[in-house]
Amino acid sequence: MTIFDWFQRRSRKKKSKQPPLPIPDQYMEQHADDPIPNNLEKAVQLFTGLLEDSQFLTVRRFRLFGQFPAAMIYFSNMVDPEIKNADILRPLMYVPDHLAGTRIALKDLSDIVMNDALYYTGSERQQKMGKVILKLLRGGTAVLIDGLNDAIVMETTKIAQRSIDQPETEQVIRGPREGFVEQLGTNISLLRYRLPTTDLKVKTMDLGRVTKSKVAVCYLKGIANDALIQEVFNRLSKIDIDGALDTGYLEQFIEDSHYSPFPQIQNTERTDKAVANLLEGRVIILMDGSPFALILPTTFSQFYQTTEDYNERFLMVSFVRLARLQALVFSLITPSLYVAIISYNPELIPTEFAVAVSGGRAGVPFPSVVEVLVMEASMEMLREATLRLPQQIGGALSIVGVLVVGQAAVAAGFVSPITVVVIALTTIGSFATPAYNAALALRLLRFPLVGMASMFGLYGVMVGLILIANHVLSLRSFGVPYLTPIVPGNFQGMKDTLLRFPLWSMKRRPTLLHTDNDRRLGKDVDNQMKRPTNNTLDPLKVGNEKEDAEGGISPSDHGDTSGGDHH
Amino acid sequence: MEYPRQITVIQAAAIITSTIIGVGVLALPYFAAGHAGTASPLITLAAILLSFFGLWFISVLGMRFRTQSIVEYSEAILGRWLAFAGNLLIILFFAALTSLAAREFGEVVITAVLKRTPLEVVVAIMLLIAMISCRKDITTFAYIHHFYLPIIVFPAIVIVALSLRNAKAINLLPIWGNANSWSNLLGGVLVVAALFQAAFIYTMVIPYMRRPERALVASSAGLAIAGGLYLSIVIAVIGVFGAEETKKLQWPTLELAKTTTLPGNVLERLDAAFLALWVTAVFSTLFSTYYFTIFAIGKLFRMRDRNMLAPFLMPLLFAFAMVPTNVLHMYQIIGQVGRLGLYLTIGYPLFLLIVAKIRRIRGNSDDQGRVARPN
Repeated sequence: MTIFDWFQRRSRKKKSKQPPLPIPDQYMEQHADDPIPNNLEKAVQLFTGLLEDSQFLTVRRFRLFGQFPAAMIYFSNMVDPEIKNADILRPLMYVPDHLAGTRIALKDLSDIVMNDALYYTGSERQQKMGKVILKLLRGGTAVLIDGLNDAIVMETTKIAQRSIDQPETEQVIRGPREGFVEQLGTNISLLRYRLPTTDLKVKTMDLGRVTKSKVAVCYLKGIANDALIQEVFNRLSKIDIDGALDTGYLEQFIEDSHYSPFPQIQNTERTDKAVANLLEGRVIILMDGSPFALILPTTFSQFYQTTEDYNERFLMVSFVRLARLQALVFSLITPSLYVAIISYNPELIPTEFAVAVSGGRAGVPFPSVVEVLVMEASMEMLREATLRLPQQIGGALSIVGVLVVGQAAVAAGFVSPITVVVIALTTIGSFATPAYNAALALRLLRFPLVGMASMFGLYGVMVGLILIANHVLSLRSFGVPYLTPIVPGNFQGMKDTLLRFPLWSMKRRPTLLHTDNDRRLGKDVDNQMKRPTNNTLDPLKVGNEKEDAEGGISPSDHGDTSGGDHH
Repeated sequence: MEYPRQITVIQAAAIITSTIIGVGVLALPYFAAGHAGTASPLITLAAILLSFFGLWFISVLGMRFRTQSIVEYSEAILGRWLAFAGNLLIILFFAALTSLAAREFGEVVITAVLKRTPLEVVVAIMLLIAMISCRKDITTFAYIHHFYLPIIVFPAIVIVALSLRNAKAINLLPIWGNANSWSNLLGGVLVVAALFQAAFIYTMVIPYMRRPERALVASSAGLAIAGGLYLSIVIAVIGVFGAEETKKLQWPTLELAKTTTLPGNVLERLDAAFLALWVTAVFSTLFSTYYFTIFAIGKLFRMRDRNMLAPFLMPLLFAFAMVPTNVLHMYQIIGQVGRLGLYLTIGYPLFLLIVAKIRRIRGNSDDQGRVARPN
């Protein structure tokens, strides 16, 4: 339903002269535990009055087993029509075969419906108004029977959902290509598909007074620390808000330092990343309606790691990771270093280069800090613009923006070429950071750094960096120090920070999470890996042929005795 | 906090190293050469030994009173009022140390890089970043020192290693110096030892160590790293410039950085970059002494919340930092304060230790379970 429809209906409702009903939600709160009236007409009237949705609320009257008046209520378009027709309406209209001919008394009716007639699994009896309405609102179907207090409620929700595909924000070259979708049920099934263990616990709670979004806290029992889980629940239960539309809402309520630019909770759209974090002993929070899972607790090193790091071989990946770290540093300090060196310490750079730089800056009237800030500001603008633009034009605009405008600005004597290079490096650096929110923090922090650099040169840059580092060192995510495997140092943890050590050398789970069960690898793996492998296809063993002379131990036909000319 | 005792041996050693290494290293060879000429490495070594005694007393006291810092156990040993006087002196001394370090670095910065920036601004900024960080708990205090250690040690090692190309062994001879009087040598030892006395803040760290019984190991390691670095800088400076030249340089270590270039001429001069990285070292020293001042005041007056102290203290520190009229006056004051400090940082703990032994006062070192109050 679009907002437009809704307004229309609102205005129509005002015109019609119906007796004023109380606001349904408030009425529901007061009368949640009321029984359902056993008079069918009254009950139907109550439901339609409360739900008041003439176009989409469907009331289908029929006769149960051909004799008892009954009605089926549901929101059309939210309900799977297949189930509604074949699995609900048909068995309820006909008397079950094995009961044909027997008289059915009203008092047995509800038992017979549940135990003999209705074979659809997701059905239950419900007597409280509130529960029934909630089920209906979530896409269930209710069957009301004249003369009974019970309503029979069935899970029939079928909301259109997009297909599971590779998340746009976290693409990998090598690795699984599935990402979370909006529906919580699907997401949890994706997790279960990768973790077929009884230890995977999914605790749900409803959040948001109006949206009543389902929030699922997932963890592996025995691996995740119990105190951590308790704390997650404590923090979640404090949230009282009218609506939570994305896990981002939750993040802002449960994080440790609200004023820090650095994210203390990580999010992901990737199922494999979520599972890997569960296996390390972290907690995952999913919410109905959001394709992003929250991962907590989080340390800084997680922001430059990707799941791909573990899929590819360790040597190459360690190299890539160093490059990524370099990008991270670049995105923070390049502009401020440039400003500091150009305006205060040009003697640092080699003379030839200094001459080239000042030659490039010869026609530029502004101090370097103005140049850098102007370029940075236009880069931010461009970035936002490409984000908003339709994909078809986006690519074209970024080329126009970067190449044409940049070139023109240099030609017009507005900025020096070296500034363009510096800003380009910075921007590329911030795009190379896998975590968008961490990149955003560094993007933000480089503006004050540029300011410090313009006032105090290298000394100012250093003071700024010290302030940032001190802040980062004092950050905690659910009690875990933010820079954990590095400070406080932990050798096992350090294997997965700057470099990624081979998987077989990371024997234990990160100690920072205080897991009860910290063995990642089996005890025998070391010995097994040291044992010589059987090189079956070693040419020495298979056959070392040279023309006709046979040097190997196997016969010249490689043991194939079936003759040469089979096809 | 879950475990108040969080600080590991490595972190404790890092605290000592990064606290000791500060702005003093810039002028260290000048002091040493002024007193002892070519015997500078020797007196540096002697100074390291002397300050080791000071740290040793503190560590032994700390291991004897595992849940208390010097402010608390001195009261147990000497009685409330006598200890009050001693502690007040310590607080004043560390406040002065903080101010003077900020001032000294301010002088370096406005002389070497920011020639047109007012001294007051640089000093105020240094004090300000130390003040802002003083709100953090002692665990974060340890993290900060641990994190900065490589940034502090590494550039110094690079400078020493690169400058050794220009060093001549003949400059270091004779090792015993030329016709030095013993009093001159001893004076030199005391002046150099004064550069190590910020390590006294270790007494604040021991009660929060996870294993206080290894306090001595940590302090020895920390002093060994810092001392080794100081010694190698002295050797490098004297080796490159010779003793006579060093006596004429205000900040010989900075001059050393000026003479060295990276191979391949990536950066033409290193002094500005070196000085920039050196901000970290100065910050960590300032942070330690500032933190200790506030910590000691809080303990002395039994305050529950020390957070408000740091901002109140800052104008006082800044005012004191502005007392010296010029660099020479400043170094005069630093010399006097440093000599006085040696009595406090080495003599006072020794005195406490002797009295504690005589009076047979032990802290609650036997009950391992009791821990210091979370900070």
